[in-house]
Amino acid sequence: MVEIALGTALAAIGAGVAIGFAGLGSGLGQGIAAAGSVGAVAEDKGMFAQGIIFSALPETQAIYGFLIAILLLVFSGLLGGGAGLSTTSGLVAVGVGASIGFAGLGSGMGQGIAAASSVGAVVEDKGMFAQGIIFSALPETQAIYGFLIAILLMVFGGILG
Amino acid sequence: MADEFTTILTSLGLSTEAFIAILVIVLLVIGAVVVVIVSRPVLDIYPYLLPNARVRARKGRLFDEKHFSEIIESDNIDEITNYLRGFPDYAEHIDNYSLEKSLDIQLSETYDMIARIAPENIKKAFVALAKKSDINNIKSLITAKEANLNSNDTSNLLIPSGKLYEDIQHLIDSNTVEDVVAGLDGTEYGVVLEDALNEYKESKMILPLEAALDKYYLENLLTAANVPSNDNTAILYSYIGSQVDVNNIKLIIRAKTDGLNYEGISPYMIKEGHDIKEWKLKDLMESEDVSGVINSLEGTDFAQILNDNLQNYNETGSVAVFEKALDEYISDYANSLSLKNPLGIGPIIGFLNKKEKEVKNLKIIARAKREAGFPVSEIQEMLV
Repeated sequence: MVEIALGTALAAIGAGVAIGFAGLGSGLGQGIAAAGSVGAVAEDKGMFAQGIIFSALPETQAIYGFLIAILLLVFSGLLGGGAGLSTTSGLVAVGVGASIGFAGLGSGMGQGIAAASSVGAVVEDKGMFAQGIIFSALPETQAIYGFLIAILLMVFGGILG
Repeated sequence: MADEFTTILTSLGLSTEAFIAILVIVLLVIGAVVVVIVSRPVLDIYPYLLPNARVRARKGRLFDEKHFSEIIESDNIDEITNYLRGFPDYAEHIDNYSLEKSLDIQLSETYDMIARIAPENIKKAFVALAKKSDINNIKSLITAKEANLNSNDTSNLLIPSGKLYEDIQHLIDSNTVEDVVAGLDGTEYGVVLEDALNEYKESKMILPLEAALDKYYLENLLTAANVPSNDNTAILYSYIGSQVDVNNIKLIIRAKTDGLNYEGISPYMIKEGHDIKEWKLKDLMESEDVSGVINSLEGTDFAQILNDNLQNYNETGSVAVFEKALDEYISDYANSLSLKNPLGIGPIIGFLNKKEKEVKNLKIIARAKREAGFPVSEIQEMLV
């Protein structure tokens, strides 16, 4: 059996929370946006490109979660075989995962709903594309906050550097 | 630090493994709670996403004021037909049928489309709404037989749509109204028309048959919409209930101008609307005249609407002024409802309302253009 330090094990939980919840939010959001887009494309084939753009927007939250999870795995020693994390840093890693995980969950869902509404607005009036993108981009900020705090926690919590 | 941490765990009687297990469980519980909380609104929104995108696409293709100005400026019906040929929604049927008939077919197909894509919890109401085509066809058939029209002329009156179209087509060769009603035996309309048929036999007027069909349609619609499980179904119920209210008020106003009393009006009334309940309806039916009806409506939105048009009615003596105002009220009300729940049923109601309005206005223009020299300004006034 591989010996894993407590701190490293905690970081593994953090990594799971990071990608798990961020991915959940992103998946739900993308599903919501894609369902709206399919309806739009069914009525207007020319909506395919716009539908893809709006459906792709909630992907970012999963990318943030994935990135943080990879960083946690690498710097906790789980990937690459480096030194394991201390228990304190391990607890910080759980906070890191929760930060991007939950922020990504809310942000992804919100963005999906806004994107689905925007698809509806654009299919009704093509001139609404730019406004739709702006409104759909707004819920991205919560994920960015979560991502930023996760990076800061890693830097100042002794995980990175 | 790790030692201190282990000491704390030991003092709590926990091993390191037990602590990690507890931490994982706590995170899972928090996660589950969060997922349950956030998934509720998503579950409400999700069934409406595809239908809403589809109806909003169609809403975007509806005619705006510029289109209507161009149509009104047409010199004759052929120009309108040519104009509509440029729009895929109308072009499909316009070369095969008369203008009015192709508009009816398009509206009927719209009802069918909505009934097909509507979310399950409101589907029943839209299926009931789509029965309008069958009811209109049966009414046309009855009118044709009463007027002794031949098979060809009768066939021209029918709209080739609706669930019962094929059955109704088989009745074109019927000789009398009684034959038509007998031919509908086995369908839901056979039972509806059975009682009214006796009245028809006594009075030789088809009004009781038409009123029975209208009453059945609206009651059926109201029952189908009466599933107040959430905001969406409540909005749908208030939309249909208001249509019932308006229908009742229109009938009462018409009846009062014809001097009918309570007994004469009561059979045609639908008892439970949205704002006007049964006791209020009784007051309205017992009113002496149109002014009495308006007074009895005090406390509802309808009193103000009718009062605003009372002077116009007194001058013209036409109940059409009230009917136009009530239609506009329904249109505005539907519009306000459509904005209430933009991620739910709102866009569907908004689109249906605007589509019905568009077809109604196109038919008004078409009728006016069939009369040579009908003034454009008058057409504009007639539009809803």
